[in-house]
Amino acid sequence: MIRVLFFGPVAAQVNEHQMQLEFQVGLCLQDVVAQLQLRYPKAFELVCFTAVNAVQTHDMRLKLADHDEIAFMAKFSGG
Amino acid sequence: MLAAVRLQVEDFSVDQELAALRAGSMRMGGIATFIGCARDFSVQDFSTQKFSEECEVSEISFDAYDSMAVRAMNQLRKEAISQYQLLDARIVHRVGRVAAGEQIVLIATGAEHRAPALQACQWLIDELKQRVPIWKKEITPQGEVWVSPHP
Repeated sequence: MIRVLFFGPVAAQVNEHQMQLEFQVGLCLQDVVAQLQLRYPKAFELVCFTAVNAVQTHDMRLKLADHDEIAFMAKFSGG
Repeated sequence: MLAAVRLQVEDFSVDQELAALRAGSMRMGGIATFIGCARDFSVQDFSTQKFSEECEVSEISFDAYDSMAVRAMNQLRKEAISQYQLLDARIVHRVGRVAAGEQIVLIATGAEHRAPALQACQWLIDELKQRVPIWKKEITPQGEVWVSPHP
């Protein structure tokens, strides 16, 4: 399984903080983005950063492994 | 002893943090602190999320990607110590609900001289806002709104 996390304003749009997606061999980050973007278009308008296993990435072709954790995040506003 | 970099729900003691900072070295000649506090007003319009007239804020709610945030804060501390030749630095940020008037974040930097301590303190809070995955929502009598980043 792939664990997907949402935070702050993105979580508010999705109405969930996390969900699980089925893992398939060859799955890449873009596949997950495309799938979720269709379901939650408004949430993905807010997404500025993506992290895999808590490390930010811009590589949408990144191959995912079973049990990976993906986070979709809006612009940060801490402090 | 409390970790130099932390996320926590409860309030923090500035005295305790400064004592911990000073305990590390007798060479410390300058200490700078930044304390971010929860304002009791906002200038965001709740329907358009654009700036308008002031309205009352009772609380701010913070959400964080804890593991990534702590890693990013530790990296910032390491970079600040190296870039500004600090003797030590501490970063504490609260999560969950913070009432208006309460403390949100503490940055404390210690160096042999005041200039690097002050510069590092400013650099750390500016970088924290850009690089640490934390989000805030203002809670007001008119509703709740996620805050767009601004200085």
